[in-house]
Amino acid sequence: MDLILQLLFTGIGIGAVYALVALGFVLIFRATNVVNFAQGEFSMVAAFLMVVFAVDLQWPYWLSFLLAIGGMALLGALFNLGVYYPLRHRTYLPVIISTIGASIFLANTTLALYGPQPQVLPPVFETQGFLIGPVFLDTQYLLIIAVTAVLVAFQYWFFEHTLIGKKLQATSQDKEMAALLGIPVAGMIMLTFVYSAVLGGIAGILVAPVLFVSIQMGATIALKAFAATIIGGFGDVTGAIIGGLALGIIETFGAAYVSVPYKDAFAFIVLVAFLALRPQGIFGERIAEKA
Amino acid sequence: MRTTRRVFLKSAATVAATGLVAPSIIRPASAQAGGTIRIGMVLPVTGPGADAGRFALNGAKIALEAVNKAGGVLGKPMELITEDDQTTNPGAVLAFSKLASQPDLVAFLGSIRSTQNHAMAPDILKTGKPVAFGGTDPVLTQLGNPWLFRFRPNDSFSARVIAEYGVSNLGKKKWAIIHSTDAFGTSGAKALTEALGKAGATVALDQGYTNQSQDFTPVVLAIRQSGADVIGSYFTFENDLGIFARQLRQLGVQAPWVGSPSIVNVTALKLAGPSLYGTYGVADYAEESSNVARDFGKAYRAVMKLPPDNQSSWTFDAVTVLAKAINAAGKTDPKAIREALLAVRGHEGAEGTYNFDQNGDGLHGYNVVRNDKGNIVFDKRIDFYKA
Repeated sequence: MDLILQLLFTGIGIGAVYALVALGFVLIFRATNVVNFAQGEFSMVAAFLMVVFAVDLQWPYWLSFLLAIGGMALLGALFNLGVYYPLRHRTYLPVIISTIGASIFLANTTLALYGPQPQVLPPVFETQGFLIGPVFLDTQYLLIIAVTAVLVAFQYWFFEHTLIGKKLQATSQDKEMAALLGIPVAGMIMLTFVYSAVLGGIAGILVAPVLFVSIQMGATIALKAFAATIIGGFGDVTGAIIGGLALGIIETFGAAYVSVPYKDAFAFIVLVAFLALRPQGIFGERIAEKA
Repeated sequence: MRTTRRVFLKSAATVAATGLVAPSIIRPASAQAGGTIRIGMVLPVTGPGADAGRFALNGAKIALEAVNKAGGVLGKPMELITEDDQTTNPGAVLAFSKLASQPDLVAFLGSIRSTQNHAMAPDILKTGKPVAFGGTDPVLTQLGNPWLFRFRPNDSFSARVIAEYGVSNLGKKKWAIIHSTDAFGTSGAKALTEALGKAGATVALDQGYTNQSQDFTPVVLAIRQSGADVIGSYFTFENDLGIFARQLRQLGVQAPWVGSPSIVNVTALKLAGPSLYGTYGVADYAEESSNVARDFGKAYRAVMKLPPDNQSSWTFDAVTVLAKAINAAGKTDPKAIREALLAVRGHEGAEGTYNFDQNGDGLHGYNVVRNDKGNIVFDKRIDFYKA
């Protein structure tokens, strides 16, 4: 039983990271109808910003965090202006290719600026974790789970109970109608990119003490988050959360009870199964309706 | 004046300390040939191994400067032409092809990663010029490819040393073997299983993992359930090793751990920190193992402000020995260089004493080191070379 609980805790912790990055995917998809393949690089850039501020410059953790998040908001805005906005009237394909290009650009720019050596970002808490019975609870994973829960709650409140959230929803559902109603569509999309970059950044900063800070960290997380998004249902916030958590738990239990080397395969077997049997995902709307 | 090893290394240290490691002699592959002896180098500049690539290049640069300061090769300066392998097998093949297409390159430095050397091996055979490499899969020098020369001891030796040290010195007989599922990790685990069998120990767990794993909880729990009293490991990437080390200690496994060389790499020590305290490693490079290793350490620190590890020591030795072999051959004919390399005996390098056998293996033993609160302490050298 202790084995199951330990695996469950770890699976939820990893799944929460996938869920956070998946949320960024979903938000941008809803607003623009394209997948942002640079979402993982947002996590990587934020983690490196934290290393610069908190480790290299030794500024207080909270200040470094605020600066890193501010940096991500700026990056999100620039990303919108440079990667999406010029192609907004084109089909989805040029925009997707543009985000892939931006992903490569961000990874290699960070490599050129900071060098290839993986970095260590100290965790928020000095205590690594504590035992509850035979189960070790890593404080960083606890923090990841807690922050994910808070952000999900915030997101629900923001989208369902604020005017700006409703404007964002209207923009994502029908841009032309939203524009006719006087909603500044370009501004809403800008806000979406900023928020998605911040979300990705928070995920990167949270996971950095666990996975270390490296140029590849974004791509590793994003691939799983992308799978989580499809499993949950592209375009659905609840789906992204459930998909992320499910993926984390499936791969952790699959590794423990079936095969460790095939751990990544479990995630993608589930992905392929969903694409074949339920392409709209768990919570996604039916494709016929979407069309 | 005869250039002794001490003079050579002192000149290397002087050059490095005065900051004269000139970038002009390290050129990208597009550069034009001049009146120089040119060797190509495949190394990761991008991808997860980019860090190791930087270390490898610096080791090679220190040797190159010393070679040129000592008169060069065949009376000409030696030049290093680099190409990025992107830390991937296709990248390595492409990088080698680009280098091999330049007819004036007389020899090459391959990869420290076995899997990449396997990928390049067919092209190396076609090119027909000596390639010094650092991958430790024993199979690489048993492929019947006469152009492959290994500048690190292979895993049959590391496995024997891990097994001998764990069984004889630590007195542990129930092992958990944790290894990457790539060519390096798989061959290392296989060799360790064989060595443990011969040493009378049992393998309670043989657990592979894929590179760039984000979580090792299932692996650690499997170790705990296996009842193993010692861990032997073959990790390819330091970030994997770092995550495993931290989770191992967090989940309460305190068994002694004897790892392959990556366990004492500079990056691994930085990432894993206290999680690796008290572990043992087999290290082809140990700074306190010989005077040459110490002098190389001094030269390297002067340039990098970091302690060296095997990522840089093998390229230092490879460039030094290639220069020596080309000089001994008296010409740049590939067959003559090959014969000169095979004739190398008793060359004291930073990694140990080079005695090439007919397969192209230059080293035949390992050092055992211990992580004493972050400091790597030399324990003993176990060498299997018989003249």
